[in-house]
Amino acid sequence: MRISRRDVLSGLSVIGLSAGLLGGRRTARASTDDYRALVCVFLYGGNDGNNMVVPVDARYDDYLAARRPQTEGGLALAQDALLPLAPASGSAQYGFHPSMPELQQLWNDGSLAVLFNVGTLVAPTSKADDAAGRVPRPESLLSHQDQQNQWQTSLADRPSRTGWGGRLADQLPSASLPPLVSVAGNVLFALGARAHPLAVPSAGGPTFGLSGFDSSAGSRGLRTAMDVLRGLDLDNALVQSVAGETAAAFAASGALAPVLAGTGSTTDALFAAQPSVLGNQLLQVARIIEARSVLGASRQIFFVAIGGFDTHNDQINRQAPLLAQVSASLSSFHAATVQLGVASQVTTFTLSDFGRTLAPASGGGSDHAWGNHHLVLGGAVQGRQTYGTFPTLALGGPDDFTAQGRWIPTSSTDQYAATLARWFGVAPADLSSVLPNVGRFATDDLGFLG
Amino acid sequence: MTPRVLRMAALAMALGACSSQPAPVPPLVLSPDAVRLAAQATFGPTAAVVHDIEQRGAAAWIDAQLQAPPSDLGSYPAVADNVNAVCPMGSANTCVRDNFTPFLTETAFFRNAISGPDQLRQRVAFVLSQILVVSGAEVRPNYAIAEYEKLLGRDAFVPFRQLLEDVTLSPAMGRYLNMVNNDKPNPAKGTEPNENFAREVMQLFSIGLVKLAPDGSVVTDASGVPVPTYDQNAVIGLAHVLTGWTYPLQPGASQKTHNPAYYVGPMVSVPSNHDPAAKVILGGTQVPAGQTPEADLAQALDTIANHPNVGPFIGKQLIQALVTANPSAAYVARISAVWADDGHGVRGNLGAVVRAILLDPEARGDVKTDPSYGRVKDPVLLLTGPARALGVTTDGVFLANTAGALEQPPYLSPTVFNFYPPDYSPDSTLVSPASALLDSASVFARANLLLRLLYSPPGPDRTVTGATGTQVGLGDLAPYGTDSGSLASSIDALLYHGTLSESARLAILDAVNAQPSSGPSWIRAAAYVVLTSPQYQVER
Repeated sequence: MRISRRDVLSGLSVIGLSAGLLGGRRTARASTDDYRALVCVFLYGGNDGNNMVVPVDARYDDYLAARRPQTEGGLALAQDALLPLAPASGSAQYGFHPSMPELQQLWNDGSLAVLFNVGTLVAPTSKADDAAGRVPRPESLLSHQDQQNQWQTSLADRPSRTGWGGRLADQLPSASLPPLVSVAGNVLFALGARAHPLAVPSAGGPTFGLSGFDSSAGSRGLRTAMDVLRGLDLDNALVQSVAGETAAAFAASGALAPVLAGTGSTTDALFAAQPSVLGNQLLQVARIIEARSVLGASRQIFFVAIGGFDTHNDQINRQAPLLAQVSASLSSFHAATVQLGVASQVTTFTLSDFGRTLAPASGGGSDHAWGNHHLVLGGAVQGRQTYGTFPTLALGGPDDFTAQGRWIPTSSTDQYAATLARWFGVAPADLSSVLPNVGRFATDDLGFLG
Repeated sequence: MTPRVLRMAALAMALGACSSQPAPVPPLVLSPDAVRLAAQATFGPTAAVVHDIEQRGAAAWIDAQLQAPPSDLGSYPAVADNVNAVCPMGSANTCVRDNFTPFLTETAFFRNAISGPDQLRQRVAFVLSQILVVSGAEVRPNYAIAEYEKLLGRDAFVPFRQLLEDVTLSPAMGRYLNMVNNDKPNPAKGTEPNENFAREVMQLFSIGLVKLAPDGSVVTDASGVPVPTYDQNAVIGLAHVLTGWTYPLQPGASQKTHNPAYYVGPMVSVPSNHDPAAKVILGGTQVPAGQTPEADLAQALDTIANHPNVGPFIGKQLIQALVTANPSAAYVARISAVWADDGHGVRGNLGAVVRAILLDPEARGDVKTDPSYGRVKDPVLLLTGPARALGVTTDGVFLANTAGALEQPPYLSPTVFNFYPPDYSPDSTLVSPASALLDSASVFARANLLLRLLYSPPGPDRTVTGATGTQVGLGDLAPYGTDSGSLASSIDALLYHGTLSESARLAILDAVNAQPSSGPSWIRAAAYVVLTSPQYQVER
């Protein structure tokens, strides 16, 4: 069943539409309700995937040769420090960064998959196609801002004012609570043609409501005046936009404020051992998921983020605590979804600006590159497997479009997003309205969700 | 009494018709255009600034501001760039805050923003700090940030070429974007020159990613694709050009190839670490082999500063930050022309550019009715504007702390990409950079901090030397605590430049009259509803 904007506007019942969206090929395993959520974890700055997932087989020598030993100012992690990722059968070909023991455990549990060399792509390409200019490169490749945007829009060949999370939410029926919730502020990922995200504070953050107000006449007088002023002078588009944001906040505050303050939450303790920036955001997501029935939410898309991955210098010391935080907080969050009985209804995935050069840069860092490795986590994930093609770790080699180790992606953001969107319930026929370029690629299902 | 009756009473009082009420107080009368200029060129209008503009005229007032020397940002000890060494376990709690965060410099920033005479210089320096970003999140020593902030204050009105060189050789920038100790290629170690500064100096600090016409529009090729200004090879070439620089020599120390971190004065060259090979940079410019680090740098900065993009790229951002987020192409083109030549043959004269931006017909006038006109205010201006209008006296501590809670602590941007992208659009149509910081969470954060400022401003923080706390004297609005009509009229003049609608006026009077007593509580109530209103948050 297609869900068009016209259907939504014509007032079809929310239940009917939800049933339609659920008509995908997969059904949740342990669920009693039809809830599904996607959780986007953005690693701002460009995570060095080359040191997040490292081959531990014979290819380690290629890695060491290009990355150079740390004793020489290089970036190579010691082979025996890597956390092996054993597949269901056979021996491990890859290992995680030593700061990621929790994610190694989730791999072993079968809840975590690794995607190799995904990136922004205009169309499928190769080193020869790229060198000959037969396939255009993404606009402003290697630029943080533009590549963050393209990962979020999945439109590498044009500017876009909407993100794929927003366009995915555009497919959903109207609900009292916006389906998109960011715990990391305004973000292009979550802007649709119609959908607009709600931004909420992290756990432990400020109140999601007006403070200092009570039932006195004075308070009521202030509140009345604020409501009146918010409806005036809307002929100016900027005033209108500020008024709209303010009105959305006021409308959501009543139901959400207690949830965001942790009232009734049963998962807080899972995050208490290692509180962190990312952990506090994911705890807030867990609280909202726990309150999904009260909030009337059946489909939600969350956005959380952590910065600091732009490791141009001192990368060895800077990346480790960031990956440790990712590992611990994703693990806490997954445990929360298990406890809430929704583990196979929640899929968590990483995005990042770009990968980084395999060759070290002056100062013990790495520079901006292109394709990168990513993580997908959840009960619905066909875990303990890798997906996609691992690049040949050779400077100037068959996957490098420069001489510093910048991988030409072998899977596109479109394919990655489409796999998630299909699991979320978008019918194949509707994928192109969420991901306009996905038809250029061989498949719209990378397989990590079964 | 119903609100309606209260409203009638307030109107009657405003008209002086009710003889038992206190005598009416004449409201503020201010030139709307002068109020608008004060909002664009200072950290918020006060009656005193507006009267100064009225008396001198806009051009003469700007000229005087261009000559005003920078306010003092304070002096801070040049501590070693090593938190654990300077603040070992057992140090006072304030050691890290005072030496390894920009907290003390930010308090000075806000003191100067509230009461410094060099308002335009500070305002432009703050804009520049959001384009040529250095952040204390990464460059930890407070004195390093203070030095960089002083640099931008000194250079706010100099030719852009000089600003670019001073910023490039600033050790704080060198540390932030890794140009300091950026060495020539080392085949033995397999390392290449660091590309970080080379990339961002072009992408963010000067020309941007795509070719621009003088009116700011994007130049496209035959198939409609934007034309890039440079490619990866130009980044690599520039990274090689920028090799061979280290920290300034600390007094008493001896020169090394990698001097220890020190942030006073410009970086110094180390010819032995400079790549002597020939390079190709922006626009295919050939940098010959064998030049000194200084000669390579000068050639590269000349090439960048003379690129035709700089005028529309930086000029448009200055317009957006000072006047309107969606300027007409003609406005951008007029500013690009001044950028190209200030009338005396000087290119990139920032003082002349700022003057032209503020005196442009698209900036001036009593009222602007274009539905896309104006700019959403930065959080910093949503703190300083109310503080200046309400006669706040402060040691800057509360505002420095508050700016962080509002996601815009000056000189503490999360990344080199500033607090928000310059092309952010909240609704798919209009550009509004500062709207990136306005979301449903920040709606409440802003309102709640204003409530705190108005109703319970904090006293002195005893951990800060010389702290005096924050007091709200109510300033230009103080006389109107018993005359709600004049209060509304004065708010209209000072904060809305005379554009307050009758409906808004009545809403404010209703809020005022709902308060249990007149006096300061009336002024606070009116200020709270006005300062949290969407109208106030958009400068137009």
